[in-house]
Amino acid sequence: MAIVNLKKREIECKIVYYGPGRCGKTTNLEYIFKAYKKQITGEMVSINTDGDRTLFFDFLPMELGKLKGCDVRVHLYTVPGQVQYTSTRKLVLRGVDGVVFIADSLEVRREKNMLSLKDLHQNLKEYSLSILKIPLVMQYNKRDLAKEGIPLMPIEQMDKELNRQLKVPAFPASAVTGEGVGKTLQACLKLTIQSLKKELNWGD
Amino acid sequence: MDKGVAFTGNLEFLNLGELLQIIGNNAGTGILRITSKYAQEPGLIYIDAGDPVDAASGKLKGLEALFSLFGWIEGEFLFTTGAVNKKNVINKNRMEIILDGSRLVDDGKIKKLGPVSFQRDKKAVSGKEKAVPILKGPFVDYMYVVDEEEYFDGDEIVKEGGYGNWMWVILEGMVEISKETPKGPLRLLRVSDGAYVGSVSSFLTEDSVRNATAKAVGRVQLGMLDSQRLSGEYATMSAELKGVVISLDKRLKQVTDSVVNIYLKEKKIEEVIKGKKTVIEQGSNEERLFSIARGQASVARKTDSGYVPLVDLAQGDFFGHVPFIKMGHEPHSACVFASKDLKVASLNPENIQKEYAGLSAAFKNIIEHLATSVSVTTMIACEFQKKAK
Repeated sequence: MAIVNLKKREIECKIVYYGPGRCGKTTNLEYIFKAYKKQITGEMVSINTDGDRTLFFDFLPMELGKLKGCDVRVHLYTVPGQVQYTSTRKLVLRGVDGVVFIADSLEVRREKNMLSLKDLHQNLKEYSLSILKIPLVMQYNKRDLAKEGIPLMPIEQMDKELNRQLKVPAFPASAVTGEGVGKTLQACLKLTIQSLKKELNWGD
Repeated sequence: MDKGVAFTGNLEFLNLGELLQIIGNNAGTGILRITSKYAQEPGLIYIDAGDPVDAASGKLKGLEALFSLFGWIEGEFLFTTGAVNKKNVINKNRMEIILDGSRLVDDGKIKKLGPVSFQRDKKAVSGKEKAVPILKGPFVDYMYVVDEEEYFDGDEIVKEGGYGNWMWVILEGMVEISKETPKGPLRLLRVSDGAYVGSVSSFLTEDSVRNATAKAVGRVQLGMLDSQRLSGEYATMSAELKGVVISLDKRLKQVTDSVVNIYLKEKKIEEVIKGKKTVIEQGSNEERLFSIARGQASVARKTDSGYVPLVDLAQGDFFGHVPFIKMGHEPHSACVFASKDLKVASLNPENIQKEYAGLSAAFKNIIEHLATSVSVTTMIACEFQKKAK
């Protein structure tokens, strides 16, 4: 649930990047941090969690304009996927408004993707949120590796295996080069704002 | 509310990370004070325009103190607004403190403040280290201590099978609880400062039999509890609450015996649930509370290594959801099987909870310690079963 901060006339919402370890969540956020430098107000916080990193920064997307005279401030997070980080995950997922699920296109990560998606479903449930209702966007990352002859899963297969029931917008991407990163974020922002308007009964 | 108090509440609902975010978002200036019954002094965090600038917790100061406070998961908080005359010794991004604090808790690098901790046993044979749980209680209310006693390493405080009516609270030191078995003594757990030795039944009935042996580990200072005062308080309780307390005490005895049975591989789950049907599923949201009028019921926990039989209940025992008792059994962490002739009476958990809230702090601590003991002993039973497989 977004926070309306009347003091600052801002609506704060939270978007969380979720996905299996080393799928490129961090790379996505690092790219956004660089590419949208002008719209970022603070510094990037990076915490080294075992085998992965947890990132956080604030983002003021200009193109969204004002909502009822309030600026929209987006907090972007990555969440540590490893089992032991329950308090950190709880802190990050509490009050989440939108989720980007990053799937790893490598064939060998097929099962890891599915497990992580299941895990997201379970974690959201703990906050009485439904994976079917929350604004969710999917990204099939690491498409660039095909050029290097590394076996990747075809987009159709990933769509079928991960997105058949969810039917959410999905984008192929290569976070290292930045391809598809902006598109994924924009799609998630759009869905999040739509759902916020609906939630606050503000209409279009 | 007092002047200057901006907001106050319970840490179980809003933890420190969430509190710092809320205060940060509102650019609050003032002092965040958090208290836990497991710490003698409150923790203080000085906040200037939303950012923590200094903190204090016991002997710790600055960032170290602030991080240590992330381990306080139970307790109360109070934020008072007002100018803070503190130099910024923390100088770290707020979100970084919050995320790093929770990560350190998850990595086990910040000690969680609560009733149970673990100690690695270096003496354990076969080279494998075995962690012995240590139970602690909240700070002792000296109002209820009538006398002090001192014991030295290896001294027997109570002997299993012996008679006695005393109950003690540990003022300082460590006590090991063990059970006698044909294969020699079986060490169960250790209890430390603020924990109780002896069972509540000892001041309810005359000449109660001790269920386990308690030995001093190093020097131990015990406070003898004012049993007259406590039994006086017990006498004023309603029959329902009395029943819950007695039955909870019985659970501890039985769970302890279950550990021994699993250790000796004597009790089989098939025998326990034979001819019984499930009345409460593990993990269900059962909110009712029952008292058994006729028949039998058994409580067992479903684990990866099969069902672990825990306790057998009979007439007068309760089962179901007791809102103020975290004993790690049904409905969340165990299931209940009942004999076909089971007849129950419904108890009103709300009334019992209200009555419980009005008890003296000393009595509440005893009940809470009893419940924690049940839950830790249950955990031990499950571990034994896992090893036996």
